[in-house]
Amino acid sequence: MAWYQVPGNEQDIVISTRVRFARNLSEYPFPSRLDAAGAKEIINKVGQVLEDNGFTKTDFSDISHTAAVSLVEKHYVSPEFVRESLPHALYLNEPCNLSVMLCEEDHIRLQCILPGLALQDAYKGACKVEQLLDERFDLAFDDKLGYLTHCPTNLGTAMRASVMLFLPATTMAGRMEALAARLNQLGLTVRGLYGEGSGSDGYLYQVSNQVTLGVTEEGTLRKLEDVVHQIIDNERKLRQSVSGRDLDLLTDRVLRAEGTLKYAHALTSAEFLKLAAEVRLGVAMGIIKDVKVEALTALLIEAMPATLTMNTEPTPKTEGERDLARAMLVREKLSGNP
Amino acid sequence: MLCEKCNKKKATVFYNENINGKVRSFNLCADCAKAMRDAGELEDISASFSSFASPFLSLEDSFFNDFFSLPFHTTGGLNAPSAPKKCPLCGATLSDISTTGKVGCAKCYETFADELEGPIQSAHGKTGHIGRIARGHRAKKEKADRISALKKQLKEAINDEKFEEAASLRDQIHALEGNA
Repeated sequence: MAWYQVPGNEQDIVISTRVRFARNLSEYPFPSRLDAAGAKEIINKVGQVLEDNGFTKTDFSDISHTAAVSLVEKHYVSPEFVRESLPHALYLNEPCNLSVMLCEEDHIRLQCILPGLALQDAYKGACKVEQLLDERFDLAFDDKLGYLTHCPTNLGTAMRASVMLFLPATTMAGRMEALAARLNQLGLTVRGLYGEGSGSDGYLYQVSNQVTLGVTEEGTLRKLEDVVHQIIDNERKLRQSVSGRDLDLLTDRVLRAEGTLKYAHALTSAEFLKLAAEVRLGVAMGIIKDVKVEALTALLIEAMPATLTMNTEPTPKTEGERDLARAMLVREKLSGNP
Repeated sequence: MLCEKCNKKKATVFYNENINGKVRSFNLCADCAKAMRDAGELEDISASFSSFASPFLSLEDSFFNDFFSLPFHTTGGLNAPSAPKKCPLCGATLSDISTTGKVGCAKCYETFADELEGPIQSAHGKTGHIGRIARGHRAKKEKADRISALKKQLKEAINDEKFEEAASLRDQIHALEGNA
């Protein structure tokens, strides 16, 4: 089962946790100054080690756009990876929740993604792959600057730990901007659903570390974990503080959203994201009792355009057909959960 | 590092110029850099002075808008005729790095160490890696730590007039340094 199909810790608020390392081979220029032959060499060398250790290759020069975007929706690759012009490949070990992008911004971007809040486990998972590669390759490293990366903002640990959070109450209370400013002071940052530059849909945000030099991996994880726990506590308090007329209005809204998701004949992805967020809040607050949070998390991936297209038979050919398929999938998933 | 002009805001612009041997350098916040440029006190630069303050602005964006849009650490200012320094491994120049916002290869960090030092420190707020160490460097670090510990013990042994122990420690240090 993939990460988005199993329950996780604090799943009423935390969707997923990711830890990724950027690494480069010391003898090759970084990707922007690398030629196709060099990129292929890296993919062959590093890929072989990964294939010998349970990873499966997806060659991005040989993949349909829909299949590539589906991998973005599953958070196995970045949106930038799909646009990359050099030869590039993904190595995936889905049962272990591990993925490695070769020749993205850096030669190697490896990550572990887990459901719910699981920073330590995600770190351990990522470390296993990192050690495997460290044993076999000369990684670009400097005693003072740490791991050398294409972009100087990743120097040092070259580790990005991120937690995807569902923060409807914090957003509705108008506290996101203040939270973002506070996180910034702590060397952390908030981004939208698909990382840098993306907007926040369905009250979903990624909180991650920004600073990577002069800090340890463990220290970074500790700080992020502390902050995430504070964000969770605040979100829960805000949810609990809704009462009286406000609670009636909210209850009406989430039940209407549930009704629409359970009975709609066609759903656009924007409408789905909006309504699924309302229903998730309703489930978390105990207003809706017959829907499981994990079903909503799975839908966050499976109802997205590319993944939906990949998983539907016969393949939907138009946006309209996709909206019908989405509504059918949502109906099945939500009514199938006692 | 605080801006040396206002002493209030964080310095995010590192301006160095060398015109006919006359060297000037400033560590400034974006506002003071803009003010000095507008007043004609700095070389005229068509830079966008974005700020670090926006919480949703990524570090990467602000890093390069702030730093690499300026003629920082150049030798000769804007009128210098000298050939630009190139990385011997990948051929990148400082101008390439400022245009793309990315260094060309691992060697660039050595080649442009002086030029990159300020921006890196400013972006991270800290210097000096203290995290995981790559395999090839681990042994070196362990050896350096071991030598440093032995030297400390040697000093203590000499102070305590334990000369036999001191001799043994010195031999161990020499043996380790000999393998350096």
